Amino acid sequence: MDKETVATISYLSRLAFDKDNEDKITKDLENIIKFVDQLESIDTSNIDPLTSPLEQTAKTRVDEVTAKNRKEKFLQNAPDANEDYFLVPRVVE
Amino acid sequence: MLKAKEISNKELIQETFDLIESNSHLNAFVTLNKENALNKAKAIDNKASDLSLSGIPIAQKDLFVTKNLRTTCGSNMLSNFIPPYSATVIENLENAGCISVGKTNMDEFAMGSSNETSFYGNVQNPWGENLVPGGSSGGSAAAVAAGIVPAATGTDTGGSIRQPASLCGITGIKPTYGRISRWGMIAFASSLDQAGPMARTAEDCAIMMNEMCSHDLKDTTSLNKEIPDFTKNLNTPIKGLKIGIVKEFDLSTLDNEVVKIFEESKKHYESLGVEFVEVSLPNINLSVPTYYVVAPAECSSNLSRFDGVKFGKRCKNPKDLEDLYIRSRSEGFGEEVKRRILIGSYVLSAGFYDAYYKKAQQVRRLIKNDFDNAFSKVDLIMTPTTRGSAFEAGSMNDPIQMYLEDLFTVPANLAGLPGISIPSGYVDNKPLGVQLIGNSLQESQLLNVAHCFQTSSDWHLRTPSSEIR
Repeated sequence: MDKETVATISYLSRLAFDKDNEDKITKDLENIIKFVDQLESIDTSNIDPLTSPLEQTAKTRVDEVTAKNRKEKFLQNAPDANEDYFLVPRVVE
Repeated sequence: MLKAKEISNKELIQETFDLIESNSHLNAFVTLNKENALNKAKAIDNKASDLSLSGIPIAQKDLFVTKNLRTTCGSNMLSNFIPPYSATVIENLENAGCISVGKTNMDEFAMGSSNETSFYGNVQNPWGENLVPGGSSGGSAAAVAAGIVPAATGTDTGGSIRQPASLCGITGIKPTYGRISRWGMIAFASSLDQAGPMARTAEDCAIMMNEMCSHDLKDTTSLNKEIPDFTKNLNTPIKGLKIGIVKEFDLSTLDNEVVKIFEESKKHYESLGVEFVEVSLPNINLSVPTYYVVAPAECSSNLSRFDGVKFGKRCKNPKDLEDLYIRSRSEGFGEEVKRRILIGSYVLSAGFYDAYYKKAQQVRRLIKNDFDNAFSKVDLIMTPTTRGSAFEAGSMNDPIQMYLEDLFTVPANLAGLPGISIPSGYVDNKPLGVQLIGNSLQESQLLNVAHCFQTSSDWHLRTPSSEIR
């Protein structure tokens, strides 16, 4: 774990950090990754990954509208919206 | 008292808010639901209700969305979020007559074991000034321990119900994964998150479970299994029951007092006719490292929804869309949440996915297999809930030491199994719990064993001295 890697994963995570904080974050992440590196010690060849304790695929249902249009309610929580859309800074010049 | 009409519904709810006020130093609540709660109570006074939990005041963890009532999840990101709908658990409890009095403080997005990561400040453990209540359901645990409410909701991703229950001297159960709907629970790690009740006794937890559980079509991981009456089997004799003790957990590293409580608890169960057997779970000591790959991976994915566009915090004067995303997230999330998102992004990134994420999921399978083998020999497994009693706020600064708080609780989440923490003793006047882990869907058995323990002991009846302030 180095500052360059931290910068890459910070960008992937869409997070930014103060310069003063960089050393601490790098150190913390390094320690955590070192800690989880214990997993290397065990042989897992031919072991199927367990993604969920239920081990069932997602259930499907009939494609029907079950909740009526609540656009107004959901737009109320938006930091910026007009009657129909969420608003963000201009994307296309 | 409510049934005998010795107290009106409105008086009970008013009394609850008086208690919240007189315990405000605990900082257990983030948002109160006072007007609405009092109106509901008045309505029941005017028109009697025969619902099972009619008029009972309940505190709701601030991770469950509540219609028209601010839901923060302990984060600055959601400091202004008013959900347009309620979680299924909230609906189930309110449909049973419960009155939600407020939303309880918690670690930000449930990431923490001491309630110190909340944007809304630390919660104080009612058992001592400056002691943490545990986390992430710290506010719920403190509210029950202080006697403000008889029960509260919690959620448990790696121990967030059981660990605070242990540190606050109350009973808390994490049911089997899928038993209680996750609809309307703000997601942290979707394959691990599970809601459950926190109360003084196992009996009260059983009563709460009866209302909280349901098969929910809105949650694709909701189990479509028969839901028993969890109170029905309470008091079934436990003579002959086999409880496993995990060979690989080296208790000699814990404080003598902690080991003593565990051993005395064992003796107590033996006096009730339980037989203890050593079981081997060879991979169980890899649970915490496995958890700290799986949970951050799922967290980084789940928390990508907080982008400053659709709801939640948005930074001021973004210069473009990218700047809006980055600054909204950087300003909205606290340090621990950011740390976990970064770990998650790292273990999921190209080149590391197989070495970390896939590897952890493979070890997760081995841990689950270990439990399957153990449960072919024993009915339940007993461990301490926590490594020790409540610690001082600010005393645990190393993230890994904090992660190890979950040593005994994360295995049940990884395997999707039910676990309960039962008040079992005191270290320097600070409560401590013992954990029982059951096989899949065996909550009734867990609750019965805990109930048998509680009807023959009084640890769960002790309350923090009113002199502690």
